[in-house]
Parts: sequence; C-alpha cells; structure tokens
Amino acid sequence: MLLKSVNYVRPESVTEALDILSSNEGAAPLAGGQSLTNVLKHRVASVDLLVDISALGELRTITRAGDGSLEVGACVTYDEIDHSPDVRAGHAILARESSHIEDQQIRNRGTIGGNCCLSDPTNNLPPLLVALDATMNIRAVGGTRHVAAEDFFKGYFLTALEPGELLVSITIPPIPVGGGAGYVSLSVATDSKTIVRAAARVRVDGVIEEVRVVLARVASVPIRHHAMEEALRGVAPTAELVRAAAELIGSDVEPIADGHGSSDYRRKMARVVARRAVLAAIEEGGRK
Amino acid sequence: MTEQGTTHVIEVTINGRLYSRTVEARQLLVHFLRDTLDLTGTHIGCDTGSCGACSIILNGKLVKSCMMLAPQADGAVIETVEGLANDGELNPLQESFSRNHGLQCGYCTPGMLMAGTYLLRENPNPTEEEIRRGIKGNICRCTGYVNIVRSIMDVAGGHGAEQADGIVGEEQR
Repeated sequence: MLLKSVNYVRPESVTEALDILSSNEGAAPLAGGQSLTNVLKHRVASVDLLVDISALGELRTITRAGDGSLEVGACVTYDEIDHSPDVRAGHAILARESSHIEDQQIRNRGTIGGNCCLSDPTNNLPPLLVALDATMNIRAVGGTRHVAAEDFFKGYFLTALEPGELLVSITIPPIPVGGGAGYVSLSVATDSKTIVRAAARVRVDGVIEEVRVVLARVASVPIRHHAMEEALRGVAPTAELVRAAAELIGSDVEPIADGHGSSDYRRKMARVVARRAVLAAIEEGGRK
Repeated sequence: MTEQGTTHVIEVTINGRLYSRTVEARQLLVHFLRDTLDLTGTHIGCDTGSCGACSIILNGKLVKSCMMLAPQADGAVIETVEGLANDGELNPLQESFSRNHGLQCGYCTPGMLMAGTYLLRENPNPTEEEIRRGIKGNICRCTGYVNIVRSIMDVAGGHGAEQADGIVGEEQR
C-alpha cells in the first residue's frame, strides 16, 4: 500500500523533537511504528510530518533507583524490557508480559510508550501499568508534568496528552514487601488479541492490606474495580474470599460485544480473570 | 538532525553491500528493497504486519519490513534472504528446509528463513515450543508448520536435533 505523501524528520534530542511537535500542527511522533505505519497505510489519520523519536538515546534507557522503583524510557522496545536485568529483578511481571506481546518482530520494534499512547483497549501494558500504580512522565516545551497511569487513558485511542506533549518515560514504584502482582488474559490465541484481561497488585500482611484490581477490555480504557478492591481490603487472602469479591463484578460493568464474545460472556470471564489475577498476586507476594 | 522533507537520501548496507539512494519518506522499507533495489527475495504478503513474509534482520533484530518506512533504515545494516546462500551454496538452514520439505509454494519461505536465522542466533538450542513461538509472526498457508519446525530443529544443536530425529524417525516407520 502507498502512504499519502508525508514529511519525515529525525531530531537529535527530545528538546528538538518538542520544538518541532509544538510548532507543526500536523506533526506526530513516530516511535516503533507497529501501529502508526498501518494507520498511515489505511489513511485513517492525517499526519503531515512524522517526527521519528525511535532512536533518541534519552528515551531508550531503563533505570532502577535505590528505592527499587523503575523508570523505563518511552522508546524502549518490548524485547528490551523482556531482556532487561533491571526489569526482571524487581518487576518480573512487566518483563514476562512484554515477552507475550504478539510476535518477535513486533517485540523488536514496538515500544512501551507507543503501547500506551495508542490507547488501544486490547493493548497489553496499560492495565498492568494502572495496576502497578505507574506514573507517566510527560514533557512539553514549557516543562514536565506527571500523570498517574490511572488518569492517562481517556478513551478509545485517546490519552491525557495535549498537542505538543510527548510521553518521555514511565515510572513504576517498587512492589512492596509482602506484595505481588498478577496478570491474566483470556485471548483469542496465544499472545494475540485479548477478549478480557485483569491485572492486580496486592500487599498482604496477615490480611490484604493494599489491593488494586484492574479490568481491561470491559470498557474503552482499563478500569479499577473499586467494589472488588473494597471487599478484599482487610480480609484474609483466601481463595474463597477472593472468589466472593470477584462476584461483585456485575451490572456496573458493561463490556462491548463482538465476534469473540457477548457482553455477558465478557462480564462472566472478567470475574474469572480478576479472581485469578488477584490469586496470582497473592501467591507471588507469599513467595518473597 | 535529518532535514525535514518528503524525500531523503539514505545509506543502507544490505548483505554487506552499501547502497545510497534518494527515497520518498512514505516509501515502505519492503518496497525500497524490492522496487528500488530489485532485491525481490523479500516478499510482501499482507502489507499489514500480520504475515511476516517481509521479515528481514535490521541491525541484528528481526523486523517486518512492511512496518517501517525507508528513511527509518538510514544507516542500518540489513540482512535479507539473498544474503543467506554463499556463492550459490545453500546455507545449512536453507539446506534443511529443502531436505525436510519445509516449504511448498515458497511464498512465506524468505520470512521463515530470516525468522529461523534470528531464532537460532538468539537461542542455538531451541525446544519445539520455542521454535513455534519464534515463528509466530510468520504465516504459512501450505505446510501446517510441522515441516518448518522440523527444518529449524534439524539444524539446531543439542536436544533440538535429537527431537527432530525423533519426529523424522517416527514418521518413517
């Protein structure tokens, strides 16, 4: 397929990229291009200028701070996350789930920033980052701001990014002592489009002290299920109580229906994946 | 900074040879290989990043060349299927595809060979499951994958080769 004629530029720094993005209304950042290239082929979005940020060293680093928090540059690829000792050391779940995104070719090009900025409800990383309480670090010509992952995803293909802004990195806090994370997907096939998925993070100290349960593909963006979280707080981390809490996923959730499942099927499966994700998180916490 | 524009001069090293060409920014890398350089070994199957027929190795990484623009490859070192054979002699992986009937119509073969090459570099002793995951991005509509998996296993060292022998021996009985 032939793309519409487009301008292309490869800036040498984030500052330069921001200057270009803020002074060209039709400019869009190009990272791994594993979605944007297809969007351009189908001419469903109009981009006059592609600002290729994929090779910017500033956006390609992974750093683990002294407190165990992790900062991942927006243009780090899934394959690099999967193979990073720093990610595997403290956030193994991020490495593991990155290794299950589509296929090797896509993992070699696709980036964590692109996965988030596209805000496709089937994308793997947004629900995990919300569950892990990540912070999105955003730069513009005027300065930097920080948005909780929970508030970053606004709708289908829509994020909190304003024109001229660039997601530069994502900070993930350490998983606390006695804590763990879980991530369970029901997918069409191995490592492919998801029908429904859940991500969870818990901290157990005798009873469940902290819990975040995130459902994906039941709404346009990943959502925390506050009723299930509320039911789990302060209770013993047993399979029965987690099952009972998951049953609270009810008519408050109205998933889409498509060829892979009705709305009701997705709701029922949401209970299953949410229960399993919380149990996996409890189990991981217990092992540490 | 590269100058902003709809055309760019790019330099790419492909299978050890340096090419310098003026390209349109909108040109897909696979079209650059096939139409501009006449390196038609790399195939176009779906043109949407789904089938893997256009897989190449760029700066050591397996990628789909229909999912990149030509100017993005400026300065890159690229390996395509044309670079596998040495003076017309099939390399061991190509030889194995031939010996194990790892192809029928041959359309997916360039991509399969590049995916297999990358996989074996990253993991010289893959299990059958690792091979199947390694070629997940490559679609074959003829073989049912069995002979492709066997072809890759047959040149892998260690238990991979033993497993391949096991499969072949069983079927021959």
